Formats: sequence, C-alpha cells, structure tokens
Amino acid sequence: MRVDVSGLTVRYGDVTAVDDMSFSLSGNKIYGLLGRNGSGKTSLMSTLAGYRRPIGSVQLDGEPVFENAGAMRNVCLVRHTPDAADKGDKVAEALNFGKAWRDTWDDTYAHELVELFKIPLRTKVGELSLGQRSALGVVIGLASRSPLTMLDESHLGMDTPTRYAFYDTLLNDFMAHPRTIIISTHLIEELASLLEEVVIIDSGRLVLQEEADVLRSRGTEVTGSASDVDEFTAGLTVLGSKSLGRTKAAMVYGTLDDSQLIRARQLGLELGPIALQDLFVHLTEPVGGKR
Amino acid sequence: MKIFRQVTASLVAFSTIVAACVFAFVVVVTFVVSAFRGVEISAWNIVTSQIARWYLLWAGVYVIHNLLPIAVAHGRTRREFLVATSGFSVVLALAMTLVAWLGFLAEGGIYTLMDWRADEHGTPLAYFLMFLVWCTVGMFCAAAFDRFGAGGIFSVPLGLALVIVTTVRIPGSGNLPFIRNIPSLLGSGWHVMSVAAFLIALAGTWAIARDMPIRLRTS
Repeated sequence: MRVDVSGLTVRYGDVTAVDDMSFSLSGNKIYGLLGRNGSGKTSLMSTLAGYRRPIGSVQLDGEPVFENAGAMRNVCLVRHTPDAADKGDKVAEALNFGKAWRDTWDDTYAHELVELFKIPLRTKVGELSLGQRSALGVVIGLASRSPLTMLDESHLGMDTPTRYAFYDTLLNDFMAHPRTIIISTHLIEELASLLEEVVIIDSGRLVLQEEADVLRSRGTEVTGSASDVDEFTAGLTVLGSKSLGRTKAAMVYGTLDDSQLIRARQLGLELGPIALQDLFVHLTEPVGGKR
Repeated sequence: MKIFRQVTASLVAFSTIVAACVFAFVVVVTFVVSAFRGVEISAWNIVTSQIARWYLLWAGVYVIHNLLPIAVAHGRTRREFLVATSGFSVVLALAMTLVAWLGFLAEGGIYTLMDWRADEHGTPLAYFLMFLVWCTVGMFCAAAFDRFGAGGIFSVPLGLALVIVTTVRIPGSGNLPFIRNIPSLLGSGWHVMSVAAFLIALAGTWAIARDMPIRLRTS
C-alpha cells in the first residue's frame, strides 16, 4: 500500500507535533519510523490511521484516509497500549472485536500468536503485565493482516526473548503476507536488520528518508592504531570513538572518497559499517548548531 | 451492519441477563419485606423508573467512551459506528421496555397471588422514550467529555434538561421543576417532547463525535 503525506501538520493547542511534513512510501516494505521522544511519531501514525483529521493531505493508495471507509479498512495502528482492546474486556473478547469488525482478520493466526506469546485468554486486558499488553497489541496488529500495519513502540515492555520471538514472527509474517509495515522503535539496533527503509523525524519535521543500507553506508567505523586513526579522521565528522590500549575505533559520518579509501589502506586501517543507532543519534542531535 | 450486530447482540443480551437478575433479587426483597409489613408499592416500578434509566445512561457512555475507539482501531469510520449505535440505542430501549413490561406482568401475577397492592406505573411508550433518551444522553455526554476533556461539563446541564423531560410521564419519577402542571395539561402529547429530546441528544452526539480524535489511552 502506497502512502503519500503532503504538508501534514498536527497541533495540540499551542504545541506543533508535526510541522508541514511531506513524504511518500512506495509500500510493501518494512519501514522504520525513528525519532526521539516527542518528535511526532505517534501523532504522525495516528493521522495515517485516521485517528485524527489531518491538516494537509494523507492518502493511502491515492485515497484520503480520514473517515473514508474504503481506506480505513486497510489500516491498523497499534500504539503503546492496544487501542483495539478495552482494559475491562478479557483477551478473548478483545480478539472477538477483531474477528467481528475487521474483514481481513485472521482468527486462527491470532490464536497461534496468543499461544506463542503466552497471553492468557481469560484474563482481563487491564490485568495483563505491560509485556503481555504489548504482546496483545502485536497480536492485534499482525492478525489484522492490514495492507498498512503500524506498530508504534508496540514491543515496549516485552522481555528480550519475547522481543526476539516478535522479530522472527514479524519477519515470517511479512514474507508470507507482504504488506506495508511501519514500526517506530527506540531499540534501533535490535530491529535494524528487519528495516528496509528508514524515515527519521525530529521536532515534527522530516530529517531523512533513505534505504537502510544506503543510510548505513553514510557512516564508517575506522579502526587502527590511535595515531593513524587520529590522522585519518582529522577534518572529518567524528560521531564518537573508543580506545582499547593503542587501538582506537572512530565512527565517521559521510561517504569516503577514493583518495580517503586509498589513504586508509596505506595506514592499515580497518573500515567497517556503522551502527544505524549511532547514525540516528547524530542525525537527531544538533552538533555545533548543525545536523 | 457488523458493528450494529456485534454491539446489539452483546449489550442487549448482557442487559437482559442483568435485568433478570435484578428482577429475581427484587422479588426476594419483596418477600422479605412482606414478613415485616404489608406490601403497598411495586418494587419493580422503583427499579424501572429510578434505577434502569441510570443503567441506560451507562450503556450510552460505554458505547462512545469504550467502543468507539475500538471500532476506529479496527478500521471502522466514526460515521459507520454512529449509524450503528443510533440504531442500537433504539433496539436497547425497546428490549429494556419489553423486559420492564414482562417484569410488571410477572410481578402483577405474584402480587395477585399474595394479595398485595401495587402502585401505578407508566405506559410502555413512556418507558421506551425514557430509556431511549437516557441512553442517547449518555452517548452525548461521553462524546463531549472525550472530545473536550473537562469542557465536557457544559454538556451536563443540557443532558439533564433532556432526561428530565422523559421522566414526567413515569409515576414515581418526580415532577418537573417550575412547570409542574404543563405535562398534565398536554397529556400524551408530552411524548413529543421526549422524541425531541432524543433527536437533540442524537444530533449533539453526531456533531461532537463524527470527527473526534481518538486519543492515546494512558492506562
């Protein structure tokens, strides 16, 4: 499902959460929506899901989404806690709403996931632990089989084994049922291998939209003897460095040209990819007044 | 239609079970009371005229506050939901009127057998309109509070005015302040006022909820 956002603004009173944002997603990929706290991720996703009337334009496959029955049917957003479940309902009842109201709902898959994440069906949603509530949100999101599925930090609170089970499940389900999946997360490195394209926002504005591999190639980790590394990185944008004895590793932002690559080889430096998370920190944290 | 079926089936069934339990409880209480003193009033009339309307108000609040966000989260539009729940409010009010009336019939039989006296109760139409308006006013006030937060308090005086109109034709529900005689003069014509109250509450609910943002639940 293609997503087109044009001139989108979301305001809460005097606070502007999303500020004149425009971008397009071609669809059928797993997208990472990255941003710091308060950057506007949830507001953006809420508008994409028709949870609020947009100022600007939000279109799914060329159709406006807000109060458009045809477009709304194709969207599922799971925020930190599941909106699609009332805390007074038992888990089984919460799943029944999906079965009753969502045309694309896969009830068999929903129950498989409930078993996988060990969510008790007869317990009320409000009595679940934070991790179980997160898992229920993931169940609702994935079992919706919506052409546009958005998971907004929905794995928050899951323990590590459950998160890994979620990543595997997400990937398997995406392979079996390709669709547009947007995930917002602060656990960037854990999810990095799943993301095909990354959208980074900050202060309600689009900072960058790039293929994940292209983004990774924007930075390089340079490892070697401390003096050689210091010589090589002089004049480059260094995001951070760490030393162990005489060995030093520095993260450099920006693409290296041929002469720099030759110089690195002459100095015997090792060049490697940089962590997506480090690039994200650099791109969303002003350094010397500039990004 | 899916929303209407789901909401109506679950809430009407639940409400009927609650009403049946309350009726059984009321009969037991009446027998207990009869051991100490003569029975002169209809206990079921107290339930239907005083308590049931608050239940219907809760049902209206529940539908908008709890179910509307779930419907939108499952890809339904607010318009679809409001169409379905407008119909639901009528069906629930009808069902509760039927339950109330069956209760009066059953209670009447028990009272005749035991030679007890029951006081007067209202007509089915009066109960239906009272239940309908209380449910719709619940929807209206819930929409106002959900959308405007504390500002929803301004919906309360209007809601209060709308529900008071409907209790006039129910014996045991109190009279209108200031214009005590007007309902008596109008007779059954007063029901038109209840219909108007329903339409005003429904229009208010639509006006507020049809583009209401679905906010993040924090607990």
